[in-house]
Amino acid sequence: MSYWFNNEGPQSDIAVSTRVRLARNINGFPFPALMNDTQKREVNSKVKEAISQCDIPSIGKLKYIEMSAVPENERYSMLERHIASREFVLNSDNKAIILSEDESVSIMIGEEDHIRIQVILPGLQLEKAYEIANRIDDILCEKLDLAFDENLGFITECPTNLGTGLRASVMLHLPVSESTGDILRLTKSVNKIGFTVRGMYGEGSGAEGSLYQISNQITLGISEKNAVDNLKVISEQIINKERELQKNLNKIKTEDLCMRALGVLRYARVLTSAELIKLIGRVKLGMNIGVINESINPIKILIEGQPYMLMKTYGSMTEDERDIYRAQMVRNALK
Amino acid sequence: MLCEKCGKNVATTHIRTVVNGVSTEKHLCSECAKNENIAALGDNGLSGMLASMFGDVLSVNHPDSENRCKCCGSTFSDIANKGKAGCPECYKTFYGEFLPYIKRVHGSVKHIGKTPIIEAETKKEQPDTVSSLKEKLSKLISEEKFEQAAQVRDRIRELEGRQ
Repeated sequence: MSYWFNNEGPQSDIAVSTRVRLARNINGFPFPALMNDTQKREVNSKVKEAISQCDIPSIGKLKYIEMSAVPENERYSMLERHIASREFVLNSDNKAIILSEDESVSIMIGEEDHIRIQVILPGLQLEKAYEIANRIDDILCEKLDLAFDENLGFITECPTNLGTGLRASVMLHLPVSESTGDILRLTKSVNKIGFTVRGMYGEGSGAEGSLYQISNQITLGISEKNAVDNLKVISEQIINKERELQKNLNKIKTEDLCMRALGVLRYARVLTSAELIKLIGRVKLGMNIGVINESINPIKILIEGQPYMLMKTYGSMTEDERDIYRAQMVRNALK
Repeated sequence: MLCEKCGKNVATTHIRTVVNGVSTEKHLCSECAKNENIAALGDNGLSGMLASMFGDVLSVNHPDSENRCKCCGSTFSDIANKGKAGCPECYKTFYGEFLPYIKRVHGSVKHIGKTPIIEAETKKEQPDTVSSLKEKLSKLISEEKFEQAAQVRDRIRELEGRQ
């Protein structure tokens, strides 16, 4: 299986991934929280039908999947691959997802809104991600009676998404900005201009592994293009700052830190999730500053080392067993 | 930056408290923040924050509290409680009630982004030109819609003045 994170994208020394999502709803149905089972199935089939006529060569074939038919390990691993939200995988009754082959396109049906189109790409690729999402949205606009108001824009369950229904986010690896405290200044200043900084898995998560997600908050009174352009400018500034800080690190101390991390990952027999995220980040830093010269895709290793990703491949197991399989998987990847 | 309490983990929760104009800052890791009973903003998501913004609706006895959305049966108190609408129709039913909160969240109540294609075709706004306005003006006069005609006449004068 070739997932979106198997490849690296532009500016991937710092930019891990780019995500764009559009929230859409169909007239004549309550929002999913108030829908009964019949209505949920009806919405599923309406979206399935509309998407079946979607023919966009660049994204390839789209596959419709009923979530209730997906085994638990596979379902939770969708969260770890960033293709579905926590809410969506926790309660999957009468929900459905439409996926492209590499899962860079995922359309959740029956999440908070009837339809959530998501495009995720490696590196910093905001325009491209929006362009793909927008083309899928064009098809939905044509085939479905989408809820829209001239003043409020696309209608969504939560008023925070009204207007464009667009949430664009960029995940950045910022180990040095974090240790110098620049992140704090950054969070304050981007908040003032309608953007937010959060941990890796979105709302409520801490910034494990120095991974930060920057996204737009305002969706009404701003065009899609402006929202995406603004995020791009902000991301590039943060990326440049981090690069500058990385360049000025104490060479030998950093080299030691990065090489120790690589050593542990290469030889450990038991590896916890927390240890992996901490150490793989140091390996990534070592690659950026030229201390580690090996072709490693740290993000691929990080995602494949997540609990449900491991159990999807090796079957259900206890936490202790997972730590052993994780160490083995990482050793193989670093051979 | 490390957590100021345990000094071990990275501080991810930052709290600024302002009491009588004196501001103090606290920087904690998620673990210590949890122990201090400080919930991260994200714990209830944006909707939680939004529900708190609707707070004044809940405490005031709203005169329209019995008014229900015809489509899903929600009252505006239901919506304010959850910070979320029941169905697309709710926004039409409670348009006036929603506006101040939407304005608080977005700072705007006018969508300027994408429009669904079908709407875009019928409502595509062409920039006003003097000739198109003159056409509109004579049509309005023939229909005896003088108030609107006066507005169009002013707009023509404005455009001609600019040239």
